Amino acid sequence: MSVPSAPLNSWRVLVLAGIFLTGFVYVVLGLMYRQIFQSSDLVRDAENQSQRVVIRPPARGIIYDRNGQPLVENRVRWRVKADLMALQPEIRKEYLKLLSQSKQESYFDKPDYDKLQENARVNVLNRWLSKIWFVVDDNYQTNKARTNKVYPLRDNPERQVNMDSLRKHLRESRALKFILISDLAFPGSPASRTTEEGDRAIARFIEQFPSGGPITLESDMVRSYPNGSLAAHILGYVRDTDELPPNTEGSDDLSLASLQRLKYTGKKGAAGIEETMDPVLRGRSGWELWNKTSSGYNKELIRSSPAAQGTPVTLSLDINIQKAAEESLSNIRDSVGRPLPGAAVMMNVNTGEILAMASQPSFNPNRLADRVTNKYYDEVDANGGWLNRATQGLYAPGSTFKVITAIAGMRNHKVDWDDVLDCGPFYRVGNRNFPEHEPVGFGPVDVEKMLAISCNVWNYRVGLSVGPELLALEARRFGLDRPLLKNLNFTTNRPFTTEIPYPATRMVVPDPDYKSRIGGGAWNQGDTANTSIGQGFLLTTPLHMACFAASLSRGETRTTPTLFPYTGEKVVHEGTQPIGLNRQQLEAIRSGMYRCVEEGTAKSVKIPGLPYMAKTGTAEYFKTGVKAHLAWIIGYAPADRPVVAFAVLVEGQLDTSTWGGKTAGPVAQEMLKAWADIR
Amino acid sequence: MEKNRQGAKASYVALAVFIAAWVMLPSAFRRFNREAFAEFQAPALQLLSKSRDLARYWELRSRSDEELISASRDLSRINAALELKLQSTDDIRRENARLREMLRYPSSSEYLTVVARVISRDTSSWWQRIIIRKGRNDGIRPGAPVVFGNHVIGRVSIVHQNVSEVDLITSPSFRCTAFLDGDVPPRIVHVGGMAGNSLSAPRAKITVIPNDYSPPAGEVTKVVTTGLGGVFPAGLIIGTIEGDVLPTPEARLKEATMVPSKVLDRIDEVSVLIPKYPTPGEILMSPTEFLKLEEFK
Repeated sequence: MSVPSAPLNSWRVLVLAGIFLTGFVYVVLGLMYRQIFQSSDLVRDAENQSQRVVIRPPARGIIYDRNGQPLVENRVRWRVKADLMALQPEIRKEYLKLLSQSKQESYFDKPDYDKLQENARVNVLNRWLSKIWFVVDDNYQTNKARTNKVYPLRDNPERQVNMDSLRKHLRESRALKFILISDLAFPGSPASRTTEEGDRAIARFIEQFPSGGPITLESDMVRSYPNGSLAAHILGYVRDTDELPPNTEGSDDLSLASLQRLKYTGKKGAAGIEETMDPVLRGRSGWELWNKTSSGYNKELIRSSPAAQGTPVTLSLDINIQKAAEESLSNIRDSVGRPLPGAAVMMNVNTGEILAMASQPSFNPNRLADRVTNKYYDEVDANGGWLNRATQGLYAPGSTFKVITAIAGMRNHKVDWDDVLDCGPFYRVGNRNFPEHEPVGFGPVDVEKMLAISCNVWNYRVGLSVGPELLALEARRFGLDRPLLKNLNFTTNRPFTTEIPYPATRMVVPDPDYKSRIGGGAWNQGDTANTSIGQGFLLTTPLHMACFAASLSRGETRTTPTLFPYTGEKVVHEGTQPIGLNRQQLEAIRSGMYRCVEEGTAKSVKIPGLPYMAKTGTAEYFKTGVKAHLAWIIGYAPADRPVVAFAVLVEGQLDTSTWGGKTAGPVAQEMLKAWADIR
Repeated sequence: MEKNRQGAKASYVALAVFIAAWVMLPSAFRRFNREAFAEFQAPALQLLSKSRDLARYWELRSRSDEELISASRDLSRINAALELKLQSTDDIRRENARLREMLRYPSSSEYLTVVARVISRDTSSWWQRIIIRKGRNDGIRPGAPVVFGNHVIGRVSIVHQNVSEVDLITSPSFRCTAFLDGDVPPRIVHVGGMAGNSLSAPRAKITVIPNDYSPPAGEVTKVVTTGLGGVFPAGLIIGTIEGDVLPTPEARLKEATMVPSKVLDRIDEVSVLIPKYPTPGEILMSPTEFLKLEEFK
């Protein structure tokens, strides 16, 4: 029996064929679309899945002083690490030993197993630390010392395992090696005190410590400040960042951004020049394009662009003058031997280049190069070490302001260079006697003598006759209330970036308007008398006073300071104008400042062979509600042809005897000597 | 046929049992075995070495009188030149001792020198290890530096009764610190042998070279010991840099390949510098000495 076949032209066959044909055309068109139109996208997607970009941070640029001495550089850091996994059998053995001891001591009490485990780890790591110190420490390198059996860990708690670090490591990065010694060669670390000792420690570890065990020595690069805390407020410090500087070289045809990225942690400036010059110092990252395996490992390097070190930066600072400033500041101490807070600035009077800028107390940027520990942050904070007193500290200028009162008096024709005023032991203002610092008064005093002996009564009289508005106008003409330091033309996160970040902006040159604005009530004559001797509401910074001294030396009103060396271009001191005194008046001011050093309040810091001009000041301020003194000295040198100007401030404490010439003078003297040695 | 197959099976089983037994043996026993083998092998090696020396002796005996007279004349000249050098070296040594005393720096003369013939190269790693004809009986201690003239050869790794094994500077287990020519002021770099097969040319790797270091142009860059590690005296030549000093991928440090001194190719005799007093590292490696120190009890 045969089955009748359907006719080929049946409509059902045609429909089926149509469906198949449509499907076929759809598939073909789809493939064509994928192959022709989507080809490049698909290839890129495939590459994205099989490729990876590794981005590596560059080395930061070096910072030099004006003579090419490195102030900030990069150095190799050697870290001793322990492989806790490899130490596990040893830790287990120690744990069992501790457990047995614990049971022997008290059989019925349940031991704290976690504590025992922690103690076992610490004991084992401390034992290894003992071995490391035994090998690297200078004390053990002679036969005599070895036979005398020194006990390093017991004598030096800093050399023991840091419990907090160990707990943090176990909590956050258990899979990695534990850092036993974070910086074996760092000068000042528990391992070593000098660079030579550090080098010996590294060499001894490499050559003597058994290799192949659970303890290893690894190296990386770290930002280094070879002079420790020297100029720390200017140089600043760095911190970790994932925002690495860009590098587009050779990547035009690559869409690096769309590929899987592996980025290493880099460093960026967090304060000082490190922060403001970061765009220059940070350099260019390196990148590598890798084919990766299906397991995610790098397989083949396709192409790369190397990292480029940041551009070096040269500052106007002179390391010798900076050292002199900081060392002499650190010699001024309170009754229990702590250095008094203070600041010192020295600058070139013509170019405004800052040769030294010190602020005390300070911090050691080396201790911030890796990460800022809470302990160190709190320690610096408690000392007030984060504040750059030279640019951020606001102080009453005290008697150094008397120069401005004298200029205001002469410019407003209230007194002339040869006028002699009778200056008794006090001056009656309203119903209050404003005292002279000399109990019997000074008698007849002219401008020159006033500056030499720092007569108060002369200033009360002249200040009151000038009036508060004109006195304030004169101080503003010298820019005592204007922010200093140049604005940098970099594109940074902040729209306004000065050479050192965060300079003071709240300087105060008071007048009646100011007092009513702050709700202080009506201005009275006592306020004018106080202002005329640089006290009351007046507030400015040591850098402002150094700029004032520099301007005075040139017979002008403004000096624009800079931390970068003079490049030979025309120097423009923004907003400067002639001082507005005739020759005799200017000469009287200068002679007064000269006599201040030769026979006046600064005679104790006279420098044989280097005549210079100065004005001292001792201002009262209230520290925690009790009266203390600020010691000031400003001036310039040499007397005949000025090159450098300076300002020094020291914050006296409640129990210290602090005076301008006696306390601040020696700092200026040491800076000038250092400058004289190198000029 | 079946018998042969059974015999083969039995030998495989025996081998497996032997391996298993060897693996399970206490490490002290295996160490003893290795030591015993080295001691057993030592006389044979010494005999071989002495035979070579004897052959060399008779070879020299066969030289003509003219050759000997000429060699003697050359030696006299060299001797005169060396005497002059010795005189100036004495002056320098005295000056050096005076300066060291002023700085309270440990004297490098705290070494005893033992001269030893090379009797064999360890064939399992041709360039990595040599055996010398001096051992514990001659005062050789593990870790002691081995030099030839002013060239570093390696360090003593294992000491037997009459022979010692020396890890060459190209051995992966060798490491020391060095200074590079042209690095002023000198900064420490790390030198370590490179693992390779016995057919490839021996090389070592210099790492942790500071990024701003550039070798002096047109000169062979010498790599010398620092003398800071307490093992090698300062200024001995370890080798020379081969090729470029290239940055690591991070561009933060550099690294280079080091070629050991040519003397390594034809070394027959070496000097072992034995510190008069054991270094802390040596004490650390010797449990009996180490445990005498109270702080580690």
